[in-house]
Amino acid sequence: KAVGEGSKAELSPANHQSDRVNLEKSLPMKKAALTTSDSGHCTAEEAFASEDESEESSSLSTEEEDSENQEALRKKLSKPSQVGSGQKRGSRNLIDETSDIEDLLKEEEDYKEEKNDPTETSGALKWKEDLSRKAAEAFLRQQQAAPNLRKLIYGTVTEDNE
Amino acid sequence: MATQAHSLSYAGCNFLRQRLVLSTLSGRPVKIRKIRARDDNPGLRDFEASFIRLLDKITNGSRIEINQTGTTLYYQPGLLYGGSVEHDCSVLRGIGYYLESLLCLAPFMKHPLKVVLRGVTNDQVDPSVDVLKATALPLLKQFGIDGESFELKIVRRGMPPGGGGEVVFSCPVRKILKPIQLTDPGKIKRIRGMAYSVRVSPQMANRIVDSARSILNKFIPDIYIYTDHMKGVNSGKSPGFGLSLVAETTSGTFLSAELASNPQGQGAAVLPEDLGRNCAQLLLEEIYRGGCVDSTNQSLALLLMTLGQQDVSKVLLGPLSPYTIEFLRHLKSFFQIMFKIETKPCGEELKGGDKVLMTCVGIGFSNLSKTLK
Repeated sequence: KAVGEGSKAELSPANHQSDRVNLEKSLPMKKAALTTSDSGHCTAEEAFASEDESEESSSLSTEEEDSENQEALRKKLSKPSQVGSGQKRGSRNLIDETSDIEDLLKEEEDYKEEKNDPTETSGALKWKEDLSRKAAEAFLRQQQAAPNLRKLIYGTVTEDNE
Repeated sequence: MATQAHSLSYAGCNFLRQRLVLSTLSGRPVKIRKIRARDDNPGLRDFEASFIRLLDKITNGSRIEINQTGTTLYYQPGLLYGGSVEHDCSVLRGIGYYLESLLCLAPFMKHPLKVVLRGVTNDQVDPSVDVLKATALPLLKQFGIDGESFELKIVRRGMPPGGGGEVVFSCPVRKILKPIQLTDPGKIKRIRGMAYSVRVSPQMANRIVDSARSILNKFIPDIYIYTDHMKGVNSGKSPGFGLSLVAETTSGTFLSAELASNPQGQGAAVLPEDLGRNCAQLLLEEIYRGGCVDSTNQSLALLLMTLGQQDVSKVLLGPLSPYTIEFLRHLKSFFQIMFKIETKPCGEELKGGDKVLMTCVGIGFSNLSKTLK
């Protein structure tokens, strides 16, 4: 069982990463035509993907994954995009790099200011605002509310057995 | 049981009972060092020594070595023999302290255990005999330990510091235990209680009942709190009073709470009204914690699940107590068994505090001491 999970965990981040790269490539073209509804859809999906990833990596936080995440982060930093903000929220708790987080926050603030105008005009779609952020927050809340009791009780040894 | 396994070694006086009980069941010797080594009064206390003597009485062929100062204990368990035993417990701890361990060991004796314990039946530290009778016995029945001879009777009540109580506990033996699936706690259907008073005015118990009901009546109509006033030789050596409450759910789970008055000459006098009210609130808190097993019996349930047949057992518990957490670690070191622990956040249908679903596969422990008939 341990082997199966391990290999899955190693594979999946790579997949996610390739997804992300694709999305990022397509983004600049889309961006001009993006409405709030479209972007909401995109980000929601991305948020789920990042959730999966963070779940796996939190249970099996290997150094490889971390480094991969960091690579992904750096790529996104170079291209500030809406999709990126959702993802980084998800993976922020994994990587303690305060400088990165500060940058992210700045980007987010910038972005909101840009975005404000269209949302006000289409008031009906307000609930779709920041769907990725909401999803990420809900996920983090759930994660914090449910501590890994097995780990607390039996210590780190269990991770090898699982 | 008689197989020679390498011994486990621990340091410190904590969880002595757990270690000795699990050692007896698993057959692995234990060595415990540094028992209160830095204390002004080093070594084992009287109540611990009394517990070790009790273990010696119910087993056959145990080897116990204690060094001069009592700071090091080596225990090589023998076979669980059982039979009729009498034991004078130390008055420093309640009979519950001894009874909790006997409940773990009794089903695995060679001969059915019938033990008379003398000492303190109700105190402020250990679960009282009333509570164990109302919660632990139904729990054991879930595992298939049942029969006419399965009973716990309070003959005399004894309060600290004098003691003088007496209880009789008898338990049948079983070859194997049934696995359990307790995942639905159900809803509270009735509350029962016992307000006792010894060597004080019998009116005390009535005052406790009134104040406890003043809180509980708001929630459920089916409440009955018995009053128990023992007299003469049955009332032990010290005055005192107290209350134990048990809530029964629709699925047969028992949740309990209890309080006892301060021992004579220690601390301020407790008003029976306050005691009743506080105890009722403790019961409400226990119901909030919830689960299918009372928090005092969590470790007993987990032990019996571990020792069950090679089948899956599940139990839904309230928040794990520190004692239970350490017990889980000990189960791992003695039986190499690890539970699957899932937290169940309180959703719409699950009211109260967060619950923990514990799952394990029994090790298929069978009572080798029991003679075949």
